Amino acid sequence: MTDLEKIEKAKLLLGDKLLEMTHPAPHRIFLTVARENLLAATALLKDRLDCWYLATISGVDKGDVYEIVYHYGDTNGTINVRTRVPKSDPRLPSTCAVIPGAILYERELQDMFGLVVEGLPDPRPLVMPDGWPAGNFPLRKDWAYERPAEIIPGGKK
Amino acid sequence: MFAKLVRWSRKKSPWILHLNSGACNACDIEIVAALTPRFDVERFGVLLKATPRHADVIVATGPVTRQLKDRIIRIYEQTPDPKFVVAVGACALSGCVYRGAYNILGGLDQVIPVTAYVPGCPARPDAIMDGIVKLLGTL
Amino acid sequence: MSFNIPIGPQHPALKEPISLRMTVEGEVIRDVDIRLGYNHRGLEKLAEEKSWIQNIYLTERICGICSHSHATCYVQGVEKLMEIEPPKRGIYLRYLVSELERVHSHLLWLGIAGHEAGFDTFFMYTWRDREVVMDLLEMISGNRVHYAINTLGGVRRDLDEALRKKILEGIDVLKKRTEYYFKIGASEPTFVGRLAGVGKLSKELAMALCAVGPTARASGVTRDVRKDDPHAFYDEAPFDVATADTCDVLGRTVVRIKELFESYKIIEFILKALPPGPVAVKAPRKAKPNEVISRYEAPRGENIHYIKSNGSEKPERLKVRAPTLANYPATVEMLRDGFIADIPLIFAAIDPCICCAERTVELRNARTGEERTVLFSDLRRMANERARQLPGQRNVTWPF
Repeated sequence: MTDLEKIEKAKLLLGDKLLEMTHPAPHRIFLTVARENLLAATALLKDRLDCWYLATISGVDKGDVYEIVYHYGDTNGTINVRTRVPKSDPRLPSTCAVIPGAILYERELQDMFGLVVEGLPDPRPLVMPDGWPAGNFPLRKDWAYERPAEIIPGGKK
Repeated sequence: MFAKLVRWSRKKSPWILHLNSGACNACDIEIVAALTPRFDVERFGVLLKATPRHADVIVATGPVTRQLKDRIIRIYEQTPDPKFVVAVGACALSGCVYRGAYNILGGLDQVIPVTAYVPGCPARPDAIMDGIVKLLGTL
Repeated sequence: MSFNIPIGPQHPALKEPISLRMTVEGEVIRDVDIRLGYNHRGLEKLAEEKSWIQNIYLTERICGICSHSHATCYVQGVEKLMEIEPPKRGIYLRYLVSELERVHSHLLWLGIAGHEAGFDTFFMYTWRDREVVMDLLEMISGNRVHYAINTLGGVRRDLDEALRKKILEGIDVLKKRTEYYFKIGASEPTFVGRLAGVGKLSKELAMALCAVGPTARASGVTRDVRKDDPHAFYDEAPFDVATADTCDVLGRTVVRIKELFESYKIIEFILKALPPGPVAVKAPRKAKPNEVISRYEAPRGENIHYIKSNGSEKPERLKVRAPTLANYPATVEMLRDGFIADIPLIFAAIDPCICCAERTVELRNARTGEERTVLFSDLRRMANERARQLPGQRNVTWPF
């Protein structure tokens, strides 16, 4: 299917769930849906547009919203589904029921941004060390890290 | 007399334990490549051992991540005396490109005392062998 | 009655520090729990503070075996953001190094698979051949690993005629040796019998858990980014996607050997069709606000980078997903209902990008709480003894 055919089919499937569509480069399609329609849109895309392969889930901190993008790959490019999560209410439904392979990416989102993904079969932190103080989410723009002074053994202070 | 024998055997056949503290694996592959027929570190009597309790030399790579700090200290304490630590690669010396990251403590000498440093990114197998041989020369 | 066995973080069969906690009943694994985070270096946050060029050297050091794949994936994406197009000779040289890296990585994996299956001679042979490729890469770029040959807008070094001939000779030598290994593999019943039936992953599970790379291709899932999303060069190169149907470790071995032959074909095509001209164009300092997704087929699977810029000299967000992370849920399924003795082989079969360090396995008796330490080399010896006694597996044939 060419890009234009995919865009037409997506518009038909999603109807008014689709808020925005951009096509920045060949073989790259970005669709925006609202958070409430995320699971329904994922199921529709998986059944009808052959989007069973989720490559990864990425998040960007945009100041007062988080933009979460789900990247699906197919035999001809990628289709990406974006949703916006306000910082005042950082919750997101889990897509593990539709795509079981999404679990590690959602756990990483929890660690890095402090989002709460609801319905995760395994909500433990993924990459943070055991003694990591709670409330520190590294990929937020307002989180900075101060490196402590180094000890140079047997040398200058 | 017995001490001389022990020191001779320690010098002629050091057993190493390989420890990866969060590295990108290039230095680790070069350490394993030192065992292959082209560089052949086994002619110096060096054997790669499984457990810290059998090792004389700990060969460590990688910038130390926070999660591994306690484990490294525990492995260091499990190794019997006298022991030597060789830090291989720029990451183990001072953190390489990862200096300043939130999960990295810097070089290996922030955690355990180091006897020899082998620079390089990654350190070539010849350089690693040179480092171990120089270490044995000081025994 | 079930036991919990922790394997990790420092371990002989596992290259990176990673901790697996296995719940076992007798010899059969019932459940696996993966604990990551030992190798988390906070790279994505660091990348936001460095400029576009400095990030090339940072992304190279994500992995030591497939370092060029991360750097190329990043540079492909940033070139699209900056809207510059490298010259054809630069593109060909960049992908020449990519295919050479794929050859070295697959030879490395064959050695590790041989070592885990108890076939140490195979390990020594394949790593000796790997030195041929390392010498070629050192002649092209100056270093054995972390070649740093990419720059925004092309490559940094050029090839002259003498070097081009040397590479062709080296590839001829490797082709003969790889055919020898293929023959050994096909005719050595203990090797085939050790690998067959181990670590099964059905096609439906591979699709549901989004597995990538040779792990998925050995289960019949035909996905290869070089065919699906070709960037600049792969739509001209003649090669086929290697798949197998057996869904186990033997299939993964066959897929990797087939990919070696395909890589030799691509390298010869590049060297014969290398166009003359410059190797790089100049890149601007800033990139316009845009977002780009860059995909690349690393030796282990699909590598995907998502880069977002906001018009300044530094990226706003760099998201990296390495292929081994995508294979972890599939690994849990593969280990389930397998034997403890097969753990090193199954874990090595996904070609994890982690480092070799020997460590011990502690068996904890769930009832009495007493601990017993088992050396991993003992486990490997027990596995190989058991493999020798396995009846009926010797009738397995080499799938082509």
